[in-house]
Amino acid sequence: MSTYQYNQEALKNLQIEDTSVLDRLVDFASARQAHLRKDHAKVDKRMSLKDAIATFVADGDCMTDSGFAYVRTPHQAYWEIMRQGKKNLQCIAAPNTNHSFLIFNNNCTYSHNSYVGVEMRGIDRNYDRMLRAGRVKILSEWSHGGVALGLKAAQLGAPGLFSKQMLGSDMLKYNPYTKVMQNPMRDDPDPVVFIPALYPDVSIIHCQVADKYGNGWIYGPSVNDVATAAAARKLIITAEEIVPESEIRSRQGTVIPFFYSDAVVELPFGAVPGNMPGYYYWSRQWWEKLIRFGCASDENLKVFFDEWVHGVKDQFEFVDKLGGARWIAEARIQTKAAEGDHEDIDFSYDEFTKTHDPGRYY
Amino acid sequence: MRDLNAPANPLEMLAYVLAQQIHDHKIVYIGTGIPMIAGILAHKTHAPNITMVYESGGQDPLPKDLPWSVGCPFTWRKAPVVMEMAYSFAQCCNGFVDIAFLGFAQVDMYGNVNTHQIGKDLLHPTVRMTGSGGNNDLSSLTEEVVLVGVQTPDKFVKNVDFITSVGHLTGGNSRREAGLVGKGPIAVISQCGEFDFEPVTKRMRVKSLMPGWTFDFTQQFTGFELLKPEGEIPQTPVIPDDILKLLRTEVDPRGVFTTMPTA
Repeated sequence: MSTYQYNQEALKNLQIEDTSVLDRLVDFASARQAHLRKDHAKVDKRMSLKDAIATFVADGDCMTDSGFAYVRTPHQAYWEIMRQGKKNLQCIAAPNTNHSFLIFNNNCTYSHNSYVGVEMRGIDRNYDRMLRAGRVKILSEWSHGGVALGLKAAQLGAPGLFSKQMLGSDMLKYNPYTKVMQNPMRDDPDPVVFIPALYPDVSIIHCQVADKYGNGWIYGPSVNDVATAAAARKLIITAEEIVPESEIRSRQGTVIPFFYSDAVVELPFGAVPGNMPGYYYWSRQWWEKLIRFGCASDENLKVFFDEWVHGVKDQFEFVDKLGGARWIAEARIQTKAAEGDHEDIDFSYDEFTKTHDPGRYY
Repeated sequence: MRDLNAPANPLEMLAYVLAQQIHDHKIVYIGTGIPMIAGILAHKTHAPNITMVYESGGQDPLPKDLPWSVGCPFTWRKAPVVMEMAYSFAQCCNGFVDIAFLGFAQVDMYGNVNTHQIGKDLLHPTVRMTGSGGNNDLSSLTEEVVLVGVQTPDKFVKNVDFITSVGHLTGGNSRREAGLVGKGPIAVISQCGEFDFEPVTKRMRVKSLMPGWTFDFTQQFTGFELLKPEGEIPQTPVIPDDILKLLRTEVDPRGVFTTMPTA
């Protein structure tokens, strides 16, 4: 029997009969225990990406998509999850763009959804097909802010937060975790939404820089990552560079504390083919090809992932396919120019369309 | 290559009207797509002192190229503050943000927005779309909201298939009674013209129409009954030649948002 009182209307609308599948996300006691049981000693946690994924991502885990869809997102770790064939993952995040590809690859079966798509490049037709084919089951619908508040509540050590978001929307009819309540401080009617603290099982966060103990330094938008790092039962830090601890101590900015981290992976190009602030721009043609060609049909997406995920061993082979040293140089100039740290450049490029494959990725 | 001398197309006219909703010195929350064009166009023309803020956390970036994502470097280029997502939305609730610009797949007569799906059944939609993203948060929390999209009877519908974001809900005071913050949608901009919401019923009303559009013709592009304003319907301001040139050369030189899709 569940000890949680889920929103009954949402359970009915989502046709969820066995609610145990929902419990982990709001199970504070087990998250606290997991945090207590971590090795709190300041020790060298470095390992390979393969070992980190094999050790800390378990079948059935609830995982988060960190960064912002294709900005500082641990794509190479996702590809490794796909290659290792993890099963029955749940995914929650804001945005939740990349779980679509894990669903196609039979790694993810449950969605706590907020947003799937590549913004101005278009709607992800793969997610549409997966949903209609019953290959993924939606467990809850959220706004970005709703997810952000649930993760933030966990980081704050609060059982939940009251929100003004999502009121009156149909998402509340499809979210077993949320409840509309009267603001207890007010006499007059003042509806609020209770959003419980959310505790994913595992978060993988790609940082620009980390030390061997797992202090992870982030430049650019940290989005929800500081919250997910604190909330998740298990945390894998992947980083472009591993630096001495003294270097982290001398930096200012956002740092995830080492004692949250279970594994540290030195993973240059870990966010490829997304954008890594300070390091490399996203490959616009790669994403256009994914959305316009790959996501157009199951057959196409299989071809696409066979080539880009299952057909490559690691991120270095991926970078070679993107254009190798030339891609690295161009992508570095592009991201620095975009951030205002390089002389202005012309951002026009040869776009991938359904009828034109430029054959280059920068 | 864009023909700089071609007459303005409907999307360019729309972008101009949208930009006119932005007043100088305001804090403007920008969603993905055409709102970005409007923000940058306003900034380059009549509203050089606006501050743009984004949901990934970038606040007051130095303008450069058109952002390709609300998380991309152009949303936080040399920004004095890049804050977490939860805090960025909270600013709308706390009254620091003046106006938000949002797109939609469907909108109804009360300005309720759907970005979730076509079809009523979430488990078996006809087409699944993106979901909320920040659309609901901005619509729920920001003082003023402007909606923008292409108008067809399939998009301007009697009832949206899914309420992603509440506008004026069922009209009257229902938005406030549902507990939401802010005024809700104050305008809808499409290629047909500008719409506002009648103050009592909160139903969508024609405010002005683009050249060549009549009320009856616009009604045919609408899946619900539009309200007609008192008196003669004014013409929507048309993009002047110099601003059109600026749009084509500096704001959207590659025509990402403001070229008409080809068959």
